Amino acid sequence: MIEQFGNGLLLGIIISVASVALSLLYGVTRIVNFAHGEIIALGAIMTLFFSNPIDSKILFLDRFAPLGMNFSISILIAILICGIFGGLLEIFLFRPLRKSEVGNIAVLVVTIGLSIFFRHLYLLFATGRVQNFPLELERRQTYLFFDMTPRNFQVLIAGLIVMIFIGLFLSYTKIGKAMRAVRDSNELANVSGINSDNIILFTWIASSMLAGLAGIFQAIINDVRYNMGFLILLLIFAGTVLGGIGTSFGAMVGGLLIGIFVQVSVALPFMEGHTEAKNAVALAIMILILLFRPQGIFGQKERIS
Amino acid sequence: MLKVHNLRKRFGGVKAVDIDDISFEQNQLTSIIGPNGAGKTTFFDLISGFTEGDEGKVFLNEKNITNSQPFSIARQGMVRTFQLTKVFDRMTVIENMMFSGSNTKNDSLFRSLMKLSTQKNNENLIREKAFEIMKDLNIDHMADSYARELSGGQKKLLELGRSIINDPKILLLDEPLAGVNPKLAEEILSIIQKLSDQGITIIMVEHNIEAVMKISERVIVLAEGSVIADGNPEKVRKDPKVIEAYLGSGNE
Amino acid sequence: MTIFLTAGSIYLVFILNEEGPLRILFNLLTFAGIYGLAAIGLNVHFGLTGLLNFGHASFMGVGAYVTLLLIPHAAGREGEITDTGLTFFPALVIGIIAAALFGLLLGLPAIRLRGDYLAIVTIAAAEIFRLLVRDLESVTGGVYGIINFSESLQIYKPEFLINFSERFELNSSQMWVGLLSWISIFIVLILLRRLINSPWGRALRAVREDEDAVRALGKNAIWLKLQSFMLGAGIAGLAGVFLAFNYGSLQTTTFVPLLTFYIWAIMILGGVGSLTGPIFGSIIFWVIISETDRLAQLIFENANGQQLAGVRFILVGLLIMLLMIFRPSGLLGKKEELLLDVKSS
Repeated sequence: MIEQFGNGLLLGIIISVASVALSLLYGVTRIVNFAHGEIIALGAIMTLFFSNPIDSKILFLDRFAPLGMNFSISILIAILICGIFGGLLEIFLFRPLRKSEVGNIAVLVVTIGLSIFFRHLYLLFATGRVQNFPLELERRQTYLFFDMTPRNFQVLIAGLIVMIFIGLFLSYTKIGKAMRAVRDSNELANVSGINSDNIILFTWIASSMLAGLAGIFQAIINDVRYNMGFLILLLIFAGTVLGGIGTSFGAMVGGLLIGIFVQVSVALPFMEGHTEAKNAVALAIMILILLFRPQGIFGQKERIS
Repeated sequence: MLKVHNLRKRFGGVKAVDIDDISFEQNQLTSIIGPNGAGKTTFFDLISGFTEGDEGKVFLNEKNITNSQPFSIARQGMVRTFQLTKVFDRMTVIENMMFSGSNTKNDSLFRSLMKLSTQKNNENLIREKAFEIMKDLNIDHMADSYARELSGGQKKLLELGRSIINDPKILLLDEPLAGVNPKLAEEILSIIQKLSDQGITIIMVEHNIEAVMKISERVIVLAEGSVIADGNPEKVRKDPKVIEAYLGSGNE
Repeated sequence: MTIFLTAGSIYLVFILNEEGPLRILFNLLTFAGIYGLAAIGLNVHFGLTGLLNFGHASFMGVGAYVTLLLIPHAAGREGEITDTGLTFFPALVIGIIAAALFGLLLGLPAIRLRGDYLAIVTIAAAEIFRLLVRDLESVTGGVYGIINFSESLQIYKPEFLINFSERFELNSSQMWVGLLSWISIFIVLILLRRLINSPWGRALRAVREDEDAVRALGKNAIWLKLQSFMLGAGIAGLAGVFLAFNYGSLQTTTFVPLLTFYIWAIMILGGVGSLTGPIFGSIIFWVIISETDRLAQLIFENANGQQLAGVRFILVGLLIMLLMIFRPSGLLGKKEELLLDVKSS
């Protein structure tokens, strides 16, 4: 049980970071982004591409060699690329759609097309193989009550620091406050002197960088796959919904809870021999939440409707 | 006929509606006025079942309809319209009317699939009635146009026509004159007057004070969710609280 | 225009395939019939009623699993044989009803939710269904699936079809499934046309236009939406059964979300809300899909299965995006009937 709890924290931190990213974007733009998972995968795949040793010609059409760069620098570059990717999506796709007043539902369908498109682009370029970052294997150690490798522990700490950083950012910076204002006003008025287009652009970039980071976490803890983002997308939705759609704090906690719940549920007696179905439980919780407390556990009632 | 008791509703920290007791008499034309944000539309939402109140009870003909579903309230004879007209844009005018005139039995999946002849007869009756009403409202020439092609005033008329096709006992009209040109407003007013004469109880929210004073038998003034004046137009017009509420809020 | 595009794409099959175009064409038409049928069901949900259903694959899955488990079959790792059971048609009817009831089950709670929430709930529910089917190996065969069930349907295969297939070297079993799916499309469309022009259809359109107004006029919008959910789910269930018989075996992997997205692409291609749109959309879609393999061969020498799938889905994704952006009324739909400006709240 305790061991599963540790695993749950790790899965939770991944979902949590990704949920905050999704929630920020939804809050400001009202876009339910089904392509969120593909940005997550982009972070991991780019890190792999930059950091894998040159002689391991396993990535990219089986033709191009990876770049063999320092791992930390690779992570930074990958996150930057995710940010640029998000920015480009906003400038060349979602901004024009917004200007021509395409309805939310049509935009939702567009993000599904986008998701399918990029996921299979990754399949072509990164192949369908399960790959790992060029990191040494580590032995598990005990931290407080949990057994996990030092690297995974670092991921957990890094994730928590990122959360605190986001919280401070939204509370104290001008653009963070502006993002919250746009989110709460439900309409894209020009708030506090900052152009709403710029706020949205910034949100896309920030959300995508966070998503990329979540993907890198996911790859460090588990592995890299072309569809790794899509596989946890519904859990991310669950985390976002659980905490209350559009609330950043809620998404953080909701994500953590979903991660813990998924992993701990494996240890429950009635789940014995049914580990495959663990995600089903989390999804069922999400549906129940949507039905009986659509504002989530932290959202206020007024925000929905 | 319609009684409201201790009706309260808050949004966040803001008091939207706070009414102790009002009852509406049969066959009376009542208007509800008040500054913006006085809770007039919320009051309609509460009594028509579109919003759940925090506390309080609503009785229609002695029957408790508090928190009933909107459709069930409508079936009991109290039909409402909306401030922003809600016609079915991509349906024709006659379809709008006939949808409203039809009932669940007539709409049933089974009957529709079997094309029963009783349904066909029903449809003919509904169509006749729809045309009768559309003639009265002077929109019968638009019968086969899509509702979105109508002017703002014609949409108001269509909405009104749709509401009366089932012979309601009480009609809740939310700003029936909003955005309508003066000539058409005159026409709508006389239609409302006529409906009232036919014995329909009418409760109307309206910003056009002149119109309200002209046709209402009773005027209720809301401010910050509470009733501050209630009586015949003459009495309300002279009420100091009313004058203050309007001047104080800087509206109208 | 519609007919022209469809005929053109079929003609393309003949140009591009020198060897055995007929075989490819009939294979493609079978898939087009099955997916077209499913898209008609989806169109009842989205086109007619405005319900954002992203769990269509699960309705197809329920229909398929229930029907197959009722007829003689073999399931699971050991291929455990169940040789008693219903004949095909009663089982099919129960399968369709089961799919419709699953639609009701999913619809009951989901129907209260706003558009984008409904999308999330339906896709999540479909995933729950798939995970549970995979998990309940003792009943559903789990990841090993169900096999040896085709006979129940193939015994009804008419003589002329066998002769026809032999002459042109076609797979007669597949031809039979294909024929049945197109007959089903024909019947379903006749019934739907009748319904759309009826008071029921009128009420459904009113729900799509403005639910609040419907409720204010004394109509139970929720019940109407549930009926629509059940009708569309039942049609999807029928399509799911044909899909299983076309494959000859039933796997849980068939009912992944991508299946739902395929159906969406077909519906949008054919024109949302258009009655016959899905069938033309489906034919064109499958021509595109089957000819992309050729494209993949151009990019990669000796493309492997993954690369073929990759190119295929890249195209599907692109198709969905571009259509939504530039022709939301569908390639074949009329602009006046554009239904996608559904209010965003």
